[in-house]
Amino acid sequence: MLLIQQLLNGVMLGSVYVTVAVAFTLTIGVLNFLNFTIPTLFMLSGMGAWALAKWGLPFGLTGPFPWPLALGGAVVMTIAASLVVERFTFRYMKAKYGDATEHAIPLVSSLGFLLIIENLIRIGYGTDPQRMDAISWDTTINLDGLLLRAPQLISLAVALAIVAGLTWVLKHSRIGRGLRAIAENPDAANILGVDSKRLVPVIFMLTGLLCGLAGILFAINYGEVSPGMGEEIGSKAIAGMVIGGLGSIWGAVLGGLIIGIAEMLTVHFFGADTVQVVVWGLLLAALFVRPQGLLGHHSIGKGKL
Amino acid sequence: MSGYWTGILTILAINVIMAYAIFLPVATGQLNLGGAGFQALGAYTAAYFSANYGLTVWLTLPLSILVGGAVGIAIALPLLRTKGVYLVLATFALAEVIGGAILNTEALGGAMGLSVPDYVDYPVPMGAAVLVTLFCFYLMATRFGLAMRAAHDDEVVTDLLGVSVRGVRVAAFAIGAALAGLAGALYAHSYSFVESQSFNATLSIYVLLYVLLGGTQTALGPLFGAVFFTLLPEVLRSILPEFKSWIVLAFGAGGNVSPPDESWRFVILGLLTVLMMIFRPEGLITRTLVDRLCSPFTPRRRVLREVAV
Amino acid sequence: MSGSSDVLLSLSGVWKKFGGLTVTSDVSFDVPRGARMALIGPNGAGKTTIFNLISGFYEPTAGKIELEGRSILDYPSRKRIGLGIARSFQNIRLMPHLSVVENVMLGQQVHANSVLDMLKPLSLFGRSRWRAEAEALLEEMGLDTYPGEVVATLPYGVRKKIEVVRALAARPKLLLLDEPAAGLNGAETQSLTEFLKGISRSGVTLLVVEHDMGLVRELCDTAVVLNFGKKIYEGSTAHVQEDPLVLEAYLGPNHAKAAKSGASHVA
Repeated sequence: MLLIQQLLNGVMLGSVYVTVAVAFTLTIGVLNFLNFTIPTLFMLSGMGAWALAKWGLPFGLTGPFPWPLALGGAVVMTIAASLVVERFTFRYMKAKYGDATEHAIPLVSSLGFLLIIENLIRIGYGTDPQRMDAISWDTTINLDGLLLRAPQLISLAVALAIVAGLTWVLKHSRIGRGLRAIAENPDAANILGVDSKRLVPVIFMLTGLLCGLAGILFAINYGEVSPGMGEEIGSKAIAGMVIGGLGSIWGAVLGGLIIGIAEMLTVHFFGADTVQVVVWGLLLAALFVRPQGLLGHHSIGKGKL
Repeated sequence: MSGYWTGILTILAINVIMAYAIFLPVATGQLNLGGAGFQALGAYTAAYFSANYGLTVWLTLPLSILVGGAVGIAIALPLLRTKGVYLVLATFALAEVIGGAILNTEALGGAMGLSVPDYVDYPVPMGAAVLVTLFCFYLMATRFGLAMRAAHDDEVVTDLLGVSVRGVRVAAFAIGAALAGLAGALYAHSYSFVESQSFNATLSIYVLLYVLLGGTQTALGPLFGAVFFTLLPEVLRSILPEFKSWIVLAFGAGGNVSPPDESWRFVILGLLTVLMMIFRPEGLITRTLVDRLCSPFTPRRRVLREVAV
Repeated sequence: MSGSSDVLLSLSGVWKKFGGLTVTSDVSFDVPRGARMALIGPNGAGKTTIFNLISGFYEPTAGKIELEGRSILDYPSRKRIGLGIARSFQNIRLMPHLSVVENVMLGQQVHANSVLDMLKPLSLFGRSRWRAEAEALLEEMGLDTYPGEVVATLPYGVRKKIEVVRALAARPKLLLLDEPAAGLNGAETQSLTEFLKGISRSGVTLLVVEHDMGLVRELCDTAVVLNFGKKIYEGSTAHVQEDPLVLEAYLGPNHAKAAKSGASHVA
């Protein structure tokens, strides 16, 4: 019974990872770009919600916001930050020779943004975790002895809804078809009249939205945010994405849930300290044994970075 | 010399060695985002053997180089089949696994860290840094170095010209890992204490970025990057407090936070990274720049615009 | 063909398919030693594919490729240059961040693959043997003006020649040239033609993919024409433009007859 409870907890935990993993996989799948700002955007959303509720806008422009507004504001802020990242990683970038490290320019830029955003937050608000008791609530549903926390159920539902919506959009909308064309072959997509310049920001908006939602869901779930919260989630989301297969949205869902379950089982059997080793070890093993992941195709990451 | 300056020289030496450790694979076109992991390997090898077996620093240094290099080969052989995103992820993951494994190993002190008996003063790391620098300059002047740079520019053609691209990359990656091991061992003996938290992901990112900003076309680039970013925070030390109070004011958080000085260093590095990737993605020191500085009196040909074919 | 007993390169029944797409079908031809042969055809005829098959970048779906009577298909792309097959590329593929002489020294790699050669400095303490050789080759080819300069800054025509010199540095028996005159103006093409003739006189066999028929007629004695991956002509360059199948391939069936009398320039 305890084991089943842990499995359930794993699925719940995994739902937060799923949202972030989908953001990762979307950028890699369409743009062939490993966006290292994603964990930071997630953190920005959580810390932003806290800061808006406690202090209001920077420079003392407003007083503290009520909770719903602070949460919404945090998501908007995250999307805006993601668009800023787009501007400086993709918009102004031009490749000259197409050699091996030139493909890494957006990745390197995103590492730069990771440092900027995370350390500005640290400078502004300190490194300590911040409580958000007002929005965290702890209604527990008892199902035959299995305990389900309401906020976790909501996160899972939201995560699955996002993914389902996203897959639908990618399949059926004009923008979605354009994005898939770029993912298939950027040059051919351009020749066929897909304006990739205008579609790239869409990816970053979606990234911002996903990270923003994941960040506030995390805050609601745990009632605590910190400038370091991105790193942990980021590592697990990346592991989930790799295990599921780079570029596959449902792969990211599957991988995120697997990581969540693996984490709970590790805690159950070996204790919390070994989680890091298990998660990254799984990732490394996946890269050694099956780099294309469970649901991915093998083409991504070949030749380009 | 005052303790302040010897401290800076020590960290400078370690940063220079780390810069070359990351530079070698990057020069072949492979991003290594796991520098901290290899440094941790070296540091803990040195710490463990000098604490438990009483080995002197002259024995632990080669041992750390060996361990770093061996793990480098073991990782590079299977992984360098994959490229790009996969390699970045794999090296990053490896560093995390090494860190986590150390944290969970009783014999290595776990979260408590290990103290290292055999202390070395700044001349040892400085000497090592000079040797490593000379070694890398030498390496880049050989046919192996030529093959490394060719593999970076165009791996398909390099292969057709008869170079074993994979062999060159595995070798460069492994030599880099060995150098990172050396940097770790010097760290352990210079600070007399190691804890796995010092070798975190931020360190890996930091080293990779200053190598890329310095420039990877010549062996001069990483040296410049490492020196610049080690000395920059020292130069900024005096003006930072004013910045700090300004930003705290801006965020309206009042006086209740104590931002660590280190954060500023990272913000500046981040800003420079983003700007450099836009304006000069090949890094500050390029081949052309070195050529021009070496022969300032020969008239320079105008750079011709390439005609699109 | 003259000296048919001394065949350097021989393709027989070479097929290449990518999934359902057939790029070359049943292509066979021989390149005699010392020949200057052109491989021509409309865009997409499979010329570059043939080059990629010979240099080992692709593997043929079926068929044999032999050099001096021995199959080369078991050799990976990296080893083919050691057999004596060097090539240039349609778009110049020199290493942009390396100097001219360094690019040429890369061409020597096949003769310097031992560990000792890899670890000896090329130009740290004075000139190494390899550097001296590379500079001598550049001088011989009349390109010694800028040995130390980074390739990316040089004019297009010069880079085209340097790429050929890099291939020559491997001392090949067979040189595959993929559109050597593309993007060159008239004077540059003329200079390139003389340059290539000189190379041919030194005993290197040339197989050239080229659209510029002027260059083809002046440089090459024989030609193989491909269309939709099939060989439609093999013979002298002098008569290639009179062949009805070739005319049809370039101009389409309706125009072929009308153009036959007047056309002097195919392609």
